[in-house]
Amino acid sequence: MYANEYLTGEAELAEYVRPRSLEEALAIAGRGAKPLAGCTDLFPATDRPALGGALLDLTGVEGLSGITRTDRGWRIGAVTRWAEVAGAALPPAFDGLRAAAREVGAIQIQNAGTVGGNLCNASPAADGVPPLLTLDARVELASAAGRREMALAEFVTGPRRTALAEGEILTAVIVPEPAGRGAFLKLGARSSLVISIVMAAGRIDVAGGRVAEAAFSVGACSPVAVRLPALEAALAGLPVAEAADRVEAGLVVPALSALSDLRAEAGYRAEASVVLIRRLVAGLTGGAA
Amino acid sequence: MPDTLPFPPRMGSNAGQPLSRRDGPLKVTGAATFAADNHPEGMLYAVPATAAIARGRVTGMNVAAARAHPGVVEVYTPANRPPLMHDPDEKLGLFGMRMEALQNDSVRYAGQPIAFVVAETLEAATEGAALLAPEYAAEPARVTAETGERYTPERVGFGGPLSVGAGDIEAGLAAAAHRLETRFETPDQYHNAMEPHALVAQWDGDKLTLDTPNQAIVMACGLFAAYFGIPAENIHLRSPFLGGGFGSKAVPTGAQILTILAARELGRPVKLALTRQQMFGPVGHRARTWQTLRMGLDGAGKLTALHHHSTGATSSFDDFIEPAAAASRTLYASPAILTTHDGIRLDTGTPGAMRAPGEASGSAALEVAIDEAAEVCGMNPLAFRLANYAEVEPITGKPYSSKALRECYEAGAKAFGWASRPLAPRQMRDEAGMLTGWGMGTAVFHCPMFPASAEAVIRADGTAVIRTSGADMGQGAWTALAQIGAAALGLDPDQVEFESGHSHLPDAGVAGGSGHTASAGQALHNAGEDAVARLAELASTDPASPLYGTGNAGVLARRGRLYARDDESRSESYAEILARAGKPQVEGTGKGARDPASAETYALQAHGAVFAEVKVDPELGQMRVSRMIGAFAAGRIINPKLARSQYLGGMIWGLSFALHEEAIHDRRTGRIVNADFAGYHVPVNADVPEMEAIMIHEDDPHVNVLGVKGVGEIGITGSVGAVANAIWHATGFRPHRFPVRIEDVLPSLS
Repeated sequence: MYANEYLTGEAELAEYVRPRSLEEALAIAGRGAKPLAGCTDLFPATDRPALGGALLDLTGVEGLSGITRTDRGWRIGAVTRWAEVAGAALPPAFDGLRAAAREVGAIQIQNAGTVGGNLCNASPAADGVPPLLTLDARVELASAAGRREMALAEFVTGPRRTALAEGEILTAVIVPEPAGRGAFLKLGARSSLVISIVMAAGRIDVAGGRVAEAAFSVGACSPVAVRLPALEAALAGLPVAEAADRVEAGLVVPALSALSDLRAEAGYRAEASVVLIRRLVAGLTGGAA
Repeated sequence: MPDTLPFPPRMGSNAGQPLSRRDGPLKVTGAATFAADNHPEGMLYAVPATAAIARGRVTGMNVAAARAHPGVVEVYTPANRPPLMHDPDEKLGLFGMRMEALQNDSVRYAGQPIAFVVAETLEAATEGAALLAPEYAAEPARVTAETGERYTPERVGFGGPLSVGAGDIEAGLAAAAHRLETRFETPDQYHNAMEPHALVAQWDGDKLTLDTPNQAIVMACGLFAAYFGIPAENIHLRSPFLGGGFGSKAVPTGAQILTILAARELGRPVKLALTRQQMFGPVGHRARTWQTLRMGLDGAGKLTALHHHSTGATSSFDDFIEPAAAASRTLYASPAILTTHDGIRLDTGTPGAMRAPGEASGSAALEVAIDEAAEVCGMNPLAFRLANYAEVEPITGKPYSSKALRECYEAGAKAFGWASRPLAPRQMRDEAGMLTGWGMGTAVFHCPMFPASAEAVIRADGTAVIRTSGADMGQGAWTALAQIGAAALGLDPDQVEFESGHSHLPDAGVAGGSGHTASAGQALHNAGEDAVARLAELASTDPASPLYGTGNAGVLARRGRLYARDDESRSESYAEILARAGKPQVEGTGKGARDPASAETYALQAHGAVFAEVKVDPELGQMRVSRMIGAFAAGRIINPKLARSQYLGGMIWGLSFALHEEAIHDRRTGRIVNADFAGYHVPVNADVPEMEAIMIHEDDPHVNVLGVKGVGEIGITGSVGAVANAIWHATGFRPHRFPVRIEDVLPSLS
């Protein structure tokens, strides 16, 4: 069965299709097939022997993979693997994203799992979300009805929930030319291969010895990863030497609505978030916390 | 070349050699066949459907939907399960456990098999099991200490006494200068061997072939046979390789029995391979304990009383109480020692032996309590332990068959740099500002032996074959046992073929209790010596032999030759002796077992000392072990490379016990919420620091003829306490429940 037969709308939907063109993919998605890429979330979440239903494998779609620089900034194709992100030649603002890429499971997972999958799976502990939030990332969505774009912060609407409409596919992440340097810290119960208790991402642009721009985000703490606008505002304009000391619970914790679960209690998550943010600020402004 | 060998060394030229594992190349190339790799023609796949509630009844299942699924061959439920010859609710022997084999519709724990689907493919069987969509009449789950039923068991562990002691505890406490009472909790832990339980069953008339990983190959045949009313020898159980067992692969479980039953009923081979999730429940675990230690101390820091009580959890329908308090019976000297147990029944699967059952949990508590006692007395923890060193076994007063614990303390402390440890906690930081602490624990494990037998055959070409049903769980039995057999035969291991790993061989006993090398090894040693004696008989009675007249005890076997004991110039090769005698081979047999007289006279224990360094993030409370050194004395070491690996593996288990492993039950449903490797944490490589295992010489003439004590489990003991005590030393926080969580440490940091 060739995927392009679906374009005519006549062929019956097979259990598994791996189309080459986005047009085909959108037609298949429009008929209710479930999109998949690395399957690193999908397989563990399935208690059946096979994924079941009609499946749309996006990994063969031209133009959905790879990182390119465009006139609108950096474009990360939705099925770009985390291993590729980790090894990509990107500006220092992406250092946090690249560090997060190395924490997405083991190397095998990073070789299979994709940026788009991480976002669409919408786990509160998705490693990719906080650094992308600090990069003011936008997501590009497409369906047979057309394309649209929105801020990543609006795209993830809750735990395991996104703004994707029926038949819609995430095609790319767009990052406008970001300034400064980024960083990422993950706190887990063991040294690697662990779902985060808390993770924090930050980006600071320094100009004339002062914080010109600050962007911070905390994940695995709340139902959805959040930016920290109060903190960012407080840091803006500060001399770099004073920045780390300015980080305090009152600028971080109210934004979080921290959760308790088997990995940690809410109070600890809140405290740890403050510590991680302070360390990020110290690292990004050249000092030590 | 053989003529220049110095002799007689006690164990021969290859004993003590760090040979690499003989099964290594097979495993790294994928040539080793594990049980689930066997796919006989016409094989069907079995998948158990498991209970989603922890207590109650199954009120309905959509059997029709499962049966209708393409590829499904049969669906077994309590309504149509064919009869078994042994009641699954009756215990079978000392090691047999009650099991779930669809005897009724009751649910006793989450994850219990409640139906069994057999199909042409694994996918069809899995889907069939999912289609059953069971309905339940659930009752409230009892998975906490508060909701469980407290009771007094008859026995702890496998038939052990509930209470053991000597002296007057209350008098000891009353006379003490310091009194200490301290409580501990340890969690549910699951074995989680790399290879999940699997079984392929094939019937041929009333003969049964089983491919299944097993730690007690011949014993297990007797247990399996009882359920099917056939003689044990009708079963050929093949278990050449195990991907770990840790105590969970010795006795049959319900799903295995159902697989064999299905194979018989359907007339086709059937395969079962549990998923990782299905390993959490029906195949045993290390159950929770709640332990209390009461100690009295005199002004000089000597124990005046030691009372160790442990409450162990078990299932609602069978008894396995972790003999945790037993750890306090044999380690520290005290005029009064009392070790007692009771139990709590919970809606969980039945626990069982898991690597160092009793000692692992009990030593975790004891070693922290001992550190607390040292703190109360203002003493260095090592000095305190030495002050309470047991020169004879406490309680019994028996001498130790050998005990180089003092040397372990000394060597471990020196290698670790213990002497520069500040007495008070929270005195050390590393260059990154991490709070740094040093802790220690004493390791101890008993040295049981199981009855074992073996054969050795010297062949016409001078090579040999040795036979015993040994179980290589990855610990290296294929290698270490072959070394022992070869040494007894006076041959290089390369000249000795080792037949092992199936049930049509002499019984090698149980690969458990750290006793496999001693038990099966002694049988092989004796078999080898017996074969050599027969060869010597031929030579010494043959006037044409240079050994004529030496007598069968007047020779030594080395490098394929017999030498006159008092005259090295007189020798003859095995091949020459057999050729002249016109014999194709000589055969010897041997047995291994504990000498009751030696057990009566001596306390038989292996010992060790473990030292750990832990770093704690002062802001986050994150704890990381950065260094661990263990020094162990366990009698003769047959293969230092394998023994080191066992010690390090044990120490990593200890680290894992201290910081990672815990199965967490949902209090409402009774289900384990982290029943997979994403949620049930074991250390990853990045968690395992610089580690060293030092082997302390110990020559033990009493423990058995080989002088072997066993190394499989002792590494866990002492290690948990060492890590916990290092956390205290880093932070001032004293852990009382395991695993130690960040939240526990945190209040001490602010």
